[in-house]
Amino acid sequence: MTFTATRTALTAALLSSVAFGAAAEDYTITVWAGGSGDNATYRWEAIEMAADLMEREAAVRGEELTITVESQAWTGWDDFKQAFTLASEADNAPDIIVSGHEDIGPWSEAGLIVPIEDYVFFDSYPLNTIYPNLIDVATFNGQIWGIPQDAEARVMYWSIPALEAIGWSADEIDSLPDRIASGEFTLYDMLDAVKKMQDAGVLEANMGFAPRVSNGPDYWQFYQSFGGEMADEESGKLVVDTEALKGTYQFFVDATEMGVVSGTHLGSEWDVWHQNAASGNYGAWHGGTWHYAQWTNQFGLEDFFNTVQYSLIPAGNDAGRANSITHPLVYLVTSAASEDEAVIAAELIAKASTPEINALHAVKSAHLAISEDETTVPLYAENRWLAAASERLAPSTNAIPNNSDFGVYWTAMFDGLEAAWTGVSSVDDAVAEVETTVKQALGDDVIIR
Amino acid sequence: MSSSADLNTGVARKSRRSDRRRPRISGLGLALLAPALFLLSLFFFAPVILTGVFAFTDLSTSTGIGRGQYVVTPNLLRQLGDQGLTEDDATAIASVSISIDEAGIARATEGGVDPDFLSEIEDRFAGESFDDPRAFSRELRGLPNAPRRPRELTQTAEYFETSVLNTRFDNPEALTAQLADVAPDVSSDTIAWIVDRSYTGARFTTANFERLATQKETLRLIGNTALYVAATLGLFNVGLGLFLAIVLFYTPKPVTSFYSTLWLLPRITPLVLYAIMWKWFTWEDGFLPIIADQLGLPSFNYMKGSVVTAWMTMISLNGFIGASFGLILFSGALRAIPMQQLWASEVDGANRWQQVRRIILPQMRWPILFVTSYQTLSLLSSYEQIWLTTNGGPGRTTTVWALEAFTTALSNYTGNLQYGLGAAMALVLVVVGLVLSIIYLRLFKFSELVSRPKIEL
Amino acid sequence: MTKNFAIFPLIVLLTLVSLPIAVMYGFLILDTFTDAPPGELWPDRFTLAHWRFLWDPSVVGNVWKAAGNSLILAVSIIVIVVPISSLAGYAVSRLNLPFRRFFLAGIMVMHAFPAVTLLIGVFFVLKFTGLYNTMIGVILVKGSLMLPFGIWIMKGFYDAVPWEIEMAGVQDGASRLTVFRRLILPQVKPGLVALSVFAFLDGWGEYLLPRILAPGSDMEVLSVFLNELVQADQLGYDFNLFKSVGVFYTLPVIILFVLFQNRLMNIFGGGTKG
Repeated sequence: MTFTATRTALTAALLSSVAFGAAAEDYTITVWAGGSGDNATYRWEAIEMAADLMEREAAVRGEELTITVESQAWTGWDDFKQAFTLASEADNAPDIIVSGHEDIGPWSEAGLIVPIEDYVFFDSYPLNTIYPNLIDVATFNGQIWGIPQDAEARVMYWSIPALEAIGWSADEIDSLPDRIASGEFTLYDMLDAVKKMQDAGVLEANMGFAPRVSNGPDYWQFYQSFGGEMADEESGKLVVDTEALKGTYQFFVDATEMGVVSGTHLGSEWDVWHQNAASGNYGAWHGGTWHYAQWTNQFGLEDFFNTVQYSLIPAGNDAGRANSITHPLVYLVTSAASEDEAVIAAELIAKASTPEINALHAVKSAHLAISEDETTVPLYAENRWLAAASERLAPSTNAIPNNSDFGVYWTAMFDGLEAAWTGVSSVDDAVAEVETTVKQALGDDVIIR
Repeated sequence: MSSSADLNTGVARKSRRSDRRRPRISGLGLALLAPALFLLSLFFFAPVILTGVFAFTDLSTSTGIGRGQYVVTPNLLRQLGDQGLTEDDATAIASVSISIDEAGIARATEGGVDPDFLSEIEDRFAGESFDDPRAFSRELRGLPNAPRRPRELTQTAEYFETSVLNTRFDNPEALTAQLADVAPDVSSDTIAWIVDRSYTGARFTTANFERLATQKETLRLIGNTALYVAATLGLFNVGLGLFLAIVLFYTPKPVTSFYSTLWLLPRITPLVLYAIMWKWFTWEDGFLPIIADQLGLPSFNYMKGSVVTAWMTMISLNGFIGASFGLILFSGALRAIPMQQLWASEVDGANRWQQVRRIILPQMRWPILFVTSYQTLSLLSSYEQIWLTTNGGPGRTTTVWALEAFTTALSNYTGNLQYGLGAAMALVLVVVGLVLSIIYLRLFKFSELVSRPKIEL
Repeated sequence: MTKNFAIFPLIVLLTLVSLPIAVMYGFLILDTFTDAPPGELWPDRFTLAHWRFLWDPSVVGNVWKAAGNSLILAVSIIVIVVPISSLAGYAVSRLNLPFRRFFLAGIMVMHAFPAVTLLIGVFFVLKFTGLYNTMIGVILVKGSLMLPFGIWIMKGFYDAVPWEIEMAGVQDGASRLTVFRRLILPQVKPGLVALSVFAFLDGWGEYLLPRILAPGSDMEVLSVFLNELVQADQLGYDFNLFKSVGVFYTLPVIILFVLFQNRLMNIFGGGTKG
């Protein structure tokens, strides 16, 4: 941060228009929100509510302020990220963008977003109530770029009827999450269990274990289950742990060979997966806390707590641990916003992060709270699933690293997983390929173990 | 466009030989051509040239396009630390100093900061210094006249700060000057090195092609593409097209027109609907799986459920579109065969198979060659159908070159768009396309198609 | 001719080969008016419920607006492609130009050339011209990519016009432009009609360019609209609804095709698709 001639001029303009602007002010703020299905409409509706609040506050102060919020929602991530990147390059990006925190790395380097810490006070309400670890997730290069919009945990779900059918007692089922958390019950124990379900005829072939059908942070959980670390804590460099990758890939190959998941599971359709998960056709499956909202709202799952057990993702071997990845979405202010608009946009975001408004999103979409205060909002506190997930899963979550190069590693890791899983290459070759690709692209900025 | 230039000289040489007399150039012709040339240059030639240039850069989401700036970040310093930047230098560069002095006050006044607030700052902090911007901001907030909006406060604070970290500079000179200011003890060579490394924009590189040449994935993509093109062409565009053309040649007219219309439907159906129809046809609980289930055959999602069925689906769905192209062309060629030849063969007692083999097929050599060459090009680069159906899956088993170029450059889950690498992949297709086109132009006697205008006034 | 060959086995063979297409299109129409029990193929009841999206926007959104946008896109493409191609086609067919052969070879190459590979480059051009994320940009790009095809087709039609007509006009003292306008254009009317229909069909069916080059535009076209319906993972697959929207989307195409079938056949022979 320094002073330059342009900065001075900018400030002058800003001060004259904002600080001493007793005259009527008119703003149009555009919001683009990714990952916004039918349940996640509050990603942008919260900004609309905040705008209303800001207008009223201004009226109370005797100022005239009109804020028009224009929003656009995307369901798919690839379309959304492409649209934002291209729109930014073409100078018609929105003012506020809601995306995964991992985008902070590349987008801040490219200058597509501005650090929000210049525009809001993190030590006043409501931002001072947000969990510090979530603020860390929105931090890159020593600056806070965004405000977390939600948190989540990724869950291993278990079919209680299927476990009962292979002779598990109620105690065994109840204690499963603890046995998993302690590392006693591993991923391979899980494979054995679901294989038993299939053999017993409780489940159809290939239905024992149903992982996520597409790329997502979920697969890094398995890497962690086998002792992998995504980034080196000290140097911040990305880490390719070849042993952990081998363990991960081998696990899915083994699962396929046991016949509990099909070799072509990746790339199958979400609807089918949801339908099966909600109808209890799977033995064990992993997804997010928010899937609960979809199953109960849209796919007709009625008695969740009596039919589904939930836990962390089990450890894979002694090197790893049971874990869960949180993947907070963040509100970001883009550099397409003019100084005036950025000021308004940042304040809108701060207002939208108040416990009551954020709780609407959290409960409707089954995401976790961003602050301690939010958990006491009655709407949230009364929700059994969120309370349960916060207690059992949230403490063990970690996030994928904010690193502008992580996308390269991520893509390579998933390509390798697909190659090994579908049997196109052997596990060793797939891991070697990841190692070469990442090494070639990132050179010294990656640690190979 | 260098390959087009070759084409030009090749064609031009020929034309020089044939025409001694050079007629006057038609101004009207140029005028009529101008709008077309304008649009083609803008949306055809320019993109080709741009693709060629970008192929040799590391352009991506994080470099941005044409907006490279110079910024020293903590991450950069850490990286440079690995490459020999001393700890002392790094600390000096990362330092922040905030001093409330005359100069700062002057800058703030010039910047239009509220004079009351400024005089409070002067009264309270004059002569003091801080090294943490956040602590300083907190102090400022305690003042009675502090502005309500956070942005005004942070900007006021910035007038008193001297630092280089995380500030974006538009040109290297500005960054160099600031670095020298912040860390006067660092040698100018080191500063030059840091400035060079601090550039955030794209750089020229041949790494894309090195990567394509060395990675294993390339071979797989080439293999997939070859299989896809060869199978679709052989089985459908040529094979089925020829079969349909010959069979329809023998059927009565109403039957012929019914079936040729039916086979044209896939071509005129909008792509998105066509993809939905195939999903319905091959999906779980779709047509084929239900039939298979009733027959006791394995029933699953054929489009994505197994590698073999995914390939079959992908090839058929593209082939059904392509078959009509062959059908129309071959039918035209069949109609050109003199009827007398066919009648004569019947009188000689030839059966249909002999008639097809001896009389019809020999006449089909050129049409077959034409369909093959023309459709090879369009198949090589078609990916929309694949994208909307198998999308390269299951796994990456049906990913072809063009689809991979598209997803690399423009559409992938991590949102890490690698324009440079994608452009390199597209460039490979452009070059292959140009080379093939030139071969075809020679093959199909281009000069006959472009005979000179007969009158010129 | 060839009456002594049996026709019947051929028709059976033909029907077998064409079965997949016949089934797909047959059920496409059938399913929009009926419902079948889960897991069954044959419907057991007639219903108009799948068509309620026509008057009830709460089902899938406003299809009429999307259809209007598609119409604007398709018509705009005709407006670009037909006049420009007919001018340029005449120039390359009849007039003496520098690099004429080179230009023709270029048109041939571009005609066959897969323009979708240029998408990254096209984006940059739109970025520099400020047309990214606008329907005008999509129209210009789509129109330009169709030009080589249009010019090539029109050149073919001009080539078929007898020189005598032009010769007569010129000898009567009319300017070349007048001859073109008064005498030649009426001769190539079938070409203009066919090219217009083709441009319309291509514009109406276009999916990739609007989705990539104008994702944030207010003008959502039917193709993008329909695909978004299919992609949304909340709905569960309602093929019959998709098909109804799809048939609604395809109806104009089918009508045009039936009206202009013979003229289109000629052009499809040199078509650009797949």
